[in-house]
Amino acid sequence: MKHPFQALPGQAGRARPVIDLVVEGLELAPQACLLDTGASEVRMGRHVADLAGIDLSSAIHTEIVVGGLQTSCLSASVQLELREKNERHAWTPTVYFCDPWPWAFGLLGLGGLGPFVVTLNTYREWLEFRPLNL
Amino acid sequence: MAETSRKTVTIAKRRFELRRDRIERALRETLPEPITSHYVVIGRRRYPPKQAIGLVTGLDRADFTTHQARRILTGLGFPAGRRSRPPSPEPVAHPARRGAQAMRTRPTAETLEPFVGQWVATKEGEVLVAAPEPSAVVGWLAEHRRQADSMFRVPSDELEAGGLTPW
Repeated sequence: MKHPFQALPGQAGRARPVIDLVVEGLELAPQACLLDTGASEVRMGRHVADLAGIDLSSAIHTEIVVGGLQTSCLSASVQLELREKNERHAWTPTVYFCDPWPWAFGLLGLGGLGPFVVTLNTYREWLEFRPLNL
Repeated sequence: MAETSRKTVTIAKRRFELRRDRIERALRETLPEPITSHYVVIGRRRYPPKQAIGLVTGLDRADFTTHQARRILTGLGFPAGRRSRPPSPEPVAHPARRGAQAMRTRPTAETLEPFVGQWVATKEGEVLVAAPEPSAVVGWLAEHRRQADSMFRVPSDELEAGGLTPW
């Protein structure tokens, strides 16, 4: 499944590996996420969990610093899905829902890439997710 | 001194005095319905002309036409337009990208500029809906049975836009 790079939301600069992830319970509104190979986990704003009805009442709480900002994260196993035309890949990583989360997009870190071989072609500006046959 | 635009119109044999500022106020709390073709820009949002006139007059939308509504609203100074066809799926950027499949396009920064600080749902390079709260965006999608390509908040400053990703 190959995705062309896109500009970050609201930015006119260089295209980057931004993809839209379908979060279970929020199929109508895929969430823009930046593929961040320097990030350890998948992180999104807490509002995503609220919108998708994801129960975080017994979630593990962690405090982290992202982009120089301290934020409080609650984690849960959540099904994510990549869609492109007729191709779909769903998997269930741990997603960290963070508050505050002032950024315009989520982060797809290494913890969310486990079931894929990911190829980044920065010259041709595309990224490819190929499911691993485990 | 600024003059408030007003116009007396007859719609479905009833007379209405419409004022630009009242229309803006009336629509402030109302999210636009999906645009199929024509739209008017009110309060930096695109509304179907019939939605706007129906809301401010209380008339049934079957009582007037889109063109009638559009004419009235443009007469009050609201810009109007017609939705363009969805952009070509062919990417417009780096010539070396030809190896990638047909892409979903994200609205340009210029298109998103009126929505700074708001949550938006987008599809094929257009903004479907914008609202101050993400729940309103998702509620609108559900209500109108629309599927977005992407949802995000249009960044209002450098931190939101790229604080994680310095140039």
